[in-house]
Amino acid sequence: MLSELHKMSSSQNGIIDFTTLRIRFRKMGSMQYISHLDLQRTLGRVFIRAGLPLWFTKGFNPHPKLNFAMPLSVGTQSECELLDLRFKVDMDPAEVMERMNRQLTDELRVTEVYVPQTKFSDIAYAAYEYEIHTTGADGALAERISALLHTAPLVMTKRTKSGEKEMDIIPQIRRADVCYDGDGDCIRIAAELSATTDNFLNPELVMSALIQHCGIMQGDPMQENYTIVRRRILTADGENFR
Amino acid sequence: MNEQISTILKSVSKPGRYSAGEYGQTIKDKSQVKARFAFCFPDSYEIGMSNLGVRILYGALNEQPDIWCERAYMPWVDMEEKMREHHMPLCAHESGDPLKDFDIVGFTLQYEMCYTNVLAMLDLAGIPLRAADRTDDMPIIIGGGPCSYNAEPIADFFDVFSIGEGEDMLVEFTRLMIDMKEKGTYTREAFLHEAARTIGGTYVPSFYEVTYHEDGTVKAYTPKYDDIPVRVTKRIMKDMDKAYFPKQVVVPYIETVQDRIMLEVYRGCIRGCRFCQAGMIYRPVREKTPEVLNEQARCLFEATGYDEISLSSLSISDYTRLEELTDLLLPWTDANMVSLSLPSLRVDSFTKELMDKIATVRTSSLTFAPEAGTQRLRDVINKNVVEEDLLRAVNVAFDAGKNTVKLYFMSGLPTETDEDLAGIAQLAKKVVDAYYQSPTKRRGKPPQVTISVSCFIPKPFTPFQWEAQDTMEELARKQEYLGSQITDRKIRYTHHDARVSRIEAVLARGDRRLSAALELACREGFHFDAWDEYFDYDKWISVIERTGLDPAFYANRRFGLDEVLPWDIIDCGVSKEFFKREHDRAYAGNTTPNCREKCSGCGANKLGGERTCCPSCTK
Repeated sequence: MLSELHKMSSSQNGIIDFTTLRIRFRKMGSMQYISHLDLQRTLGRVFIRAGLPLWFTKGFNPHPKLNFAMPLSVGTQSECELLDLRFKVDMDPAEVMERMNRQLTDELRVTEVYVPQTKFSDIAYAAYEYEIHTTGADGALAERISALLHTAPLVMTKRTKSGEKEMDIIPQIRRADVCYDGDGDCIRIAAELSATTDNFLNPELVMSALIQHCGIMQGDPMQENYTIVRRRILTADGENFR
Repeated sequence: MNEQISTILKSVSKPGRYSAGEYGQTIKDKSQVKARFAFCFPDSYEIGMSNLGVRILYGALNEQPDIWCERAYMPWVDMEEKMREHHMPLCAHESGDPLKDFDIVGFTLQYEMCYTNVLAMLDLAGIPLRAADRTDDMPIIIGGGPCSYNAEPIADFFDVFSIGEGEDMLVEFTRLMIDMKEKGTYTREAFLHEAARTIGGTYVPSFYEVTYHEDGTVKAYTPKYDDIPVRVTKRIMKDMDKAYFPKQVVVPYIETVQDRIMLEVYRGCIRGCRFCQAGMIYRPVREKTPEVLNEQARCLFEATGYDEISLSSLSISDYTRLEELTDLLLPWTDANMVSLSLPSLRVDSFTKELMDKIATVRTSSLTFAPEAGTQRLRDVINKNVVEEDLLRAVNVAFDAGKNTVKLYFMSGLPTETDEDLAGIAQLAKKVVDAYYQSPTKRRGKPPQVTISVSCFIPKPFTPFQWEAQDTMEELARKQEYLGSQITDRKIRYTHHDARVSRIEAVLARGDRRLSAALELACREGFHFDAWDEYFDYDKWISVIERTGLDPAFYANRRFGLDEVLPWDIIDCGVSKEFFKREHDRAYAGNTTPNCREKCSGCGANKLGGERTCCPSCTK
């Protein structure tokens, strides 16, 4: 069954001229270094190769309409990117997934295609996993990091469109579980960060806070590294967003 | 590999340059591969990924099941610094394996100012710079591309150069290496000797001893073996329809300079502009048929998803079957919203019909290259374009609603006077006036005419190869004089840096003794000299002079017509006699008809070729 959102009318007389599907995809590994703009250009070519009948904007420079849930910054990986795509005709979600994946690599791969029942404005949080390899990692460091992420205020400089702004990021952290691996040099953090349009906490900013306040990542860059992976997208009550 | 260096990748600009994993790259099973080839472009990823030659040769080598060709680029300065700091060797893109473990490392030499990047890449790879210092277990370093026609300034760093078109030569060369390694007969010397002896287009500089006269000019090139060619003749692909053309190319994630399908329509050029090296060294003209081109374009469109196709050749409007080609392309390119672009238009062929078909219509700007400001000087350089052609072309453009035109000129051309320079300003003014004289009223936007003036650089294998470049003071005076002649504010004037042009002239006509200067430059950290922000003229002069050489000897000296030239060791197909005739005709102010109007006997027909305009060879 198609939802109201799936079939939309762009004209007043009720003629349906496009249908929408939601694409869930992963952007992992070396794809983390590809910017959002470059990803859009890349996907444009994927759609052409896959021969997908996309709906094009009307106007002087027609182009397909790509609606992303939440752009990812360079250096962050994701298992759960969401993209709404408009098609000229009804498409079988399984076929869209199959045709796209034939044109993609493992690091950029569609994991699900479905008819959306929700709006991106319902998204409230995103869940991230941090894996930090730093010298001197132990239980005590994990505790220091945990304390830092749970004690207001944690004032960081946030770059916004209107310039730099000092702000306390603690209210934007819904959850932060920090643990030390037991042995080795790895600290893991599972964090849920605010992800609404006007209140988005970049996971890199949390990492910057740790570097500034906990003295990590100061050693040999060939030995120390961290990864951030966006694992889930959540609604206001903490449920998985679909 | 990426994980280990992720901290470094996160700290440099545009990490997508290094993270690889692009769609369309070739990955092979190392255990099934007998020879590994690293194809290096000595400039940034964005420039290197745009090169058509690399796309072709990467595909041609990888078509061989037992050869794996990978890519490498010059890391940008921030990455280079990190690599040196953390002792990270330069690695190939696909496998992440260090370049020094490859069998063959190839460099494409597209412009002289990239030489310092070639050396920086060897240095970053941990490969000894000088060929003489490399042992049998190290890779063979091969160079190719336009600069290999006079690669003498970098001859000491290369084991071998591929002269001419490399599609077949590189495969034969790699295959010979595989054979000799399998038979156990491989040593560098034996392999290079066998290649020089049996594979056309192979130039091994160390096999030729160069002697010099007391005045510094070349006395002779003497082959070390008597079974290798006395002059190395360039290779060509005789039938372009049958020459390898890729069915798939690597599609970059990050934006590159030429981020589109490049369809090579033909090789060579019928024109014979006397300053132009490309117009000479790629002779004879060899066309592809529209049917083959259409199929290649369609295939690449489906394989890449690019929505733009650039018809690339030295002067695309000279393609005899352009109309047939666009008729084949347009039905499906229009239907799929793929745009066509023609990058190299001559003013005398620019028509409304042509413009209606091409994508440049969507931009508001068009570019033409009259090269000189007066008819007298255009005749000297054999540009064969008259003022009426230009004015007609810009009128077509203005009528179509464009308001910006860019015009390319050169200053410092042989016989140039201040009158010729003033002619550039006058011509630009006439273009502005043409805008207002047009019957269709163009109101609102004023016209914008940009004149971009480069400095003449005498290049090997041109009728002007013997010419002296103007001194820097004279070039600077001319640039200032031209600026003073421009009074209209609708004319924008830009010019090239004369200092870069002078070093380019030194390297373009240089001999082997310059290798010492380049080695010194590498030791002192030179890189990205093709980029204004990293070019330092005083440092260049310093390394050349410290090697005991005089920049003026190469740049500002008129070479003797009977002198042995450093590039006489190469036979590009066009004869020295032809260049001399053309040189004399230039000074007499006589033009030469293009190859299609009348054969002028340049000699390139001896190389053969299908769908050419040359009279058949008697040989």
